[in-house]
Amino acid sequence: MLNIPGRAGQTCEGPTRRELMRIGSLGLAGLHLPGFFLSQQAAKAANLTEKYKGARGFANAKNVIMIFLQGGPSHIDIWDPKPNAPANIRGEFKPIKTKIPGTWIGEHMPMMANALDKATLIRSMSYTPNGLFNHTAAIYQMLTGYPPDKVSPSGQLEPPNAADFPTAGSHISKMIKMQEPVLPFVELPRPLQESGIIGKGGAAGFLGKAYDPYRMYQDPAEAIKLEDLSLRKEIPAERLKDRFELLKGINESMPELEKALNASAVDEYYGKAYDLVLSGKARDAMDLTKETDKMRERYGLHTFGQSTLMARRLIEAGTKFVQVNWPSVANGDPEKTAWDTHAANFGPLKNLHCPKLDRSLSALLEDMDQRGLLKETLVVAIGEFGRSPRMGVSTSGNSNSPDGRDHWPYCYSAVVAGAGVGRGVQYGESDATASSPKEKPVHPNDLLATLYYALGIDPEMEIRNHLNQPRELVKGKIVTDLFA
Amino acid sequence: MRPLPLLVSLAAALHAQPAVTFLRDVAPVLNKAGCTSGPCHGAAKGKNGFKLSLRGYDPQFDYEALLYDLSGRRFNRADPGRSLMLAKPTQQVAHGGGLRFEKESAYYKVIYDWIAQGVPFGDPEKDTVASIEVAPKEIAMGKPGETAQVKVTARYKDGQTRDVTRDANVDSNSPTVARVDAQALVAGERVGEATMLIRFQGKYATIPVTILNPKAGFVWKPMAQHNFIDTHIDAKLQKLKIHPSPLADDATFLRRVTLDLTGQLPTPDEVRSFLADATPQRAKRAKVIDKLIARPAYTDNWTLKWGDLLQSSRKYLGEKGTFAFREWIRDSIASNKPYDKMVRELLTSRGSSYEDPAGNYFRATREPKPTMEKTTQVFLGVRMVCAQCHDHPFERWTQNQYYQMSAFFSAVGLRPGYEIGEEIVYDQRADYEMKHPKDSRVMKPEFLVAFTAPVAIPNDERRRDALANWLASKQNPFFAKAIANRIWSYFFGKGIIDPVDDIRASNPPVNPALLDALTQDLIDHNFDLRHLMRTIANSRAYQASIVTNEWNEADADNFSHAAPRRLQAEALMDAVTSAAGARPNFPEVPEDTSAAQLPDPHVGKDGFLDLFGRPSRESACECERRVDLSLPQALNLVNGGTISDAVADPKGRVATLVLSGKSDAAIVEELYLAAFSRLPSKAESERGQKYLAGGARAVRSQDLLWALLNSKGFLYIY
Repeated sequence: MLNIPGRAGQTCEGPTRRELMRIGSLGLAGLHLPGFFLSQQAAKAANLTEKYKGARGFANAKNVIMIFLQGGPSHIDIWDPKPNAPANIRGEFKPIKTKIPGTWIGEHMPMMANALDKATLIRSMSYTPNGLFNHTAAIYQMLTGYPPDKVSPSGQLEPPNAADFPTAGSHISKMIKMQEPVLPFVELPRPLQESGIIGKGGAAGFLGKAYDPYRMYQDPAEAIKLEDLSLRKEIPAERLKDRFELLKGINESMPELEKALNASAVDEYYGKAYDLVLSGKARDAMDLTKETDKMRERYGLHTFGQSTLMARRLIEAGTKFVQVNWPSVANGDPEKTAWDTHAANFGPLKNLHCPKLDRSLSALLEDMDQRGLLKETLVVAIGEFGRSPRMGVSTSGNSNSPDGRDHWPYCYSAVVAGAGVGRGVQYGESDATASSPKEKPVHPNDLLATLYYALGIDPEMEIRNHLNQPRELVKGKIVTDLFA
Repeated sequence: MRPLPLLVSLAAALHAQPAVTFLRDVAPVLNKAGCTSGPCHGAAKGKNGFKLSLRGYDPQFDYEALLYDLSGRRFNRADPGRSLMLAKPTQQVAHGGGLRFEKESAYYKVIYDWIAQGVPFGDPEKDTVASIEVAPKEIAMGKPGETAQVKVTARYKDGQTRDVTRDANVDSNSPTVARVDAQALVAGERVGEATMLIRFQGKYATIPVTILNPKAGFVWKPMAQHNFIDTHIDAKLQKLKIHPSPLADDATFLRRVTLDLTGQLPTPDEVRSFLADATPQRAKRAKVIDKLIARPAYTDNWTLKWGDLLQSSRKYLGEKGTFAFREWIRDSIASNKPYDKMVRELLTSRGSSYEDPAGNYFRATREPKPTMEKTTQVFLGVRMVCAQCHDHPFERWTQNQYYQMSAFFSAVGLRPGYEIGEEIVYDQRADYEMKHPKDSRVMKPEFLVAFTAPVAIPNDERRRDALANWLASKQNPFFAKAIANRIWSYFFGKGIIDPVDDIRASNPPVNPALLDALTQDLIDHNFDLRHLMRTIANSRAYQASIVTNEWNEADADNFSHAAPRRLQAEALMDAVTSAAGARPNFPEVPEDTSAAQLPDPHVGKDGFLDLFGRPSRESACECERRVDLSLPQALNLVNGGTISDAVADPKGRVATLVLSGKSDAAIVEELYLAAFSRLPSKAESERGQKYLAGGARAVRSQDLLWALLNSKGFLYIY
């Protein structure tokens, strides 16, 4: 974790441009590594260039934005309408046409209907959970690729621990070398959460806390504070530079220790830390006041909208993996924008959820596309499951109102875009009631495998857990057909 | 196409012995062709609906799977070539695992003949491998580039032998030193040591490989022998043409040994008085070792260590339970309770967790199986966890043994006590038998290895007493060795067997004679851990410098020189505090409680300590503690509050020094003593003074201390 307690009263203003020009970069140790490449270990673990030679979509992506809609959005009301199904299934919403020929979505997603020409709509996400399928278990499955029963026998309501499988962003931030002095993996604007269990499936687990995300748990729609990334008030840039020069001299005065630590990356990390603080790049990326009001409105003037805008800014700055969590507790109150619509489904979706998701996600896709960022950024928008097509029945043990929908992992939808993923395409299809995939089922592990593959990482590579036992990065099939 | 030479041995054997059996002939093919491997049909749930046991550990199961799955469609006895079992691996019908062997291969012929003969299983009393022999027993190469052929012979229960070199799996534990090909030809790659692990039908053997440095001019110059440790290390070094490094200087030694024994930095005064002490060097060092072991900080440091390994955490024990357990651990360390006694007390404790806090041992793991896994991993250095689901892939431990060992704890019960948070550890009198998951048969308790005449294991609820006696016995081949090796690792950064809690035949010690001697010495001294630490700390090997010479600069295994180790989380935190002259500041604990004294990972959770790899005590694995360095850690050290605030503490060392009106030279000297535990060199002193003179003295002194605390000379033990 990168939670650095700052002192009250520090300035958020970095060094001025003039100061920066005067100081320049110290280049403590080969800091600016050439671009994006796999760690040597990962490359050695599998002869990737050979294995995936010429394969569609391999290593197309440099970055990932994961829009994680915790809570479980109702796929049948949003992405996969079934107007011909019985009334207790089809629900209240009407379908509307989209830019994907022949594909219709829910009426409260008009902007996305128009933006789907940049994305692939997967309608055959599907898995059968082991045992209980509460939110925490499902989130863990989605983001780590492993069912939580491998970690906790109960599969539920276990807080994160050091034996957990790492979340995807942690694996990626460990494997990918950073090119810019920015944070490799940022999670915002709030944690994954079900009741009192916070952050399960969103941590580095057995990789160690060093690979946890940078947790920007503040509301980007309000003013935010980033003390840990700012120069401390009493240490202006000149003084930090003095300190580093002194430090360099002290290290050099112990050459035998330098030699013995030759293979360690101490200098590299110190150089990056220095650049990170001094350049202010990461801080700037999170400064939404640098955007025009028009742009901020385009994304939506609410927590989720401003978070997606920040995600775009972070990617522009060089961050590799941005995870935007839907800013409500997974099992929270649907009337307060939680996706968990057991009790009230249509009203909240129509008035709260869909307008926000519709505006922000469509703005992200269109803006990223216009800026050319979509070419090398994989954008995924998905929840931990969909919702029961039939209303008012209990599938998870929860009680549901007559118009409420329960958890449904057996069939749901996802939007994926960028990095060569098909534009204006529907992938997979559900049956007449959106209850199970009619064709091309995609397991969450398949999606994860595809994500790693898109980044040039072999999903079959071996990783070692906390007991040094060999495990597969993820057991899933790469869905190469997602790529155009 | 010609038959592949790969299986000439099996094919040849077939002619001599017309009956082909599953046990003797077919099972090895399934292993060698990879069918039973973890990623294929050996996976926990099999592959594409067909499951075999992992690496063929259960031939009966595999035989039945082949015979009865798919209603026997895998065989066509009238026309063996049309059997699925041949059509799949030869890719005549689609096979997810690809081509495993050719139709013309000897593998094919073995299976073909077997099917043609009516798929006989064989007689387990005759066709089972009783043992394997490997030749040569060890491989020594004069230089990289040489090769050596390994030969593997299997002896079956009926007394027959067979050359199975081509059918056995041979792996190198260090392929960059020595690699091995499919024909078991070992090739030396670079100077160093490796171990070949040979596996055939559940039997294992190892062959050590040494590749000497071909460089001319090596002359062994005998060095001081402080104790038997040096004798054993030097014996090996001399053989390998590695010359050890001389002793580190006094200040370096003092810093190292104080950190290792007490987890704290020596104070500037301690450094000064040690440097000024005119006692002959070896005696002077021995004296300070004794002094350090007698300190309360020594008790704190090792209480912390055992708190990790015994999972003392309020997550499992509650707040009061954690403090009670920690006090029990503390008393055991402070009184230097013999280690075997301490372990016996843990394993046999009963009653209230408040009145007999040792019983907290059972409260973190709670269930018999995890308790057994913890017990074997912590006290025997053996990882049984793999054997829960299948026989251990690289060790002789079987699934049966997993449950037999678990049975020792199966009667341990926990029930709520009278006070809040209290639990009673008791021995259940009914329904506690451990059952095998496959067929629910009752597994009687049985020791992992027998080392004395058979001991009667009480078949009642008090069976764990028998386990405690067996486990903590001087005769137990694992018990003393595991702790000697573990303690060694705390002083050298790695075990003689490493990882320390993964002792198995395929993970051999780098210096068996050394480990044996250390183990025997510990036994001879009745498990006195202070004696063990004293012996280690007094050795020349421990006191060696990090400076290498042309003969040992490539050696990372044989303890020929010291290697830098990053300060562990608590020691780093305490070192920052003490160097800066600040006071520790943790929530929920009494004032001035140091990081090493914290009761459990609850205190200061998610802060500096966790960032720097403090174990969360979720498991008893040594691997929970991390001492790597990463970007978030560097960011914290550079820009976080811990160091920046400590150097600017208005009552801290810098403030005190500046206010005292000392000279720049004196300030530089004091800061070097506080951070590096040594005097600055002349050049260092001059540069420091020049820096102080370059601006406001308080500011510049803070900068100097900041830079010292961020340097490698501070972050590492060396």
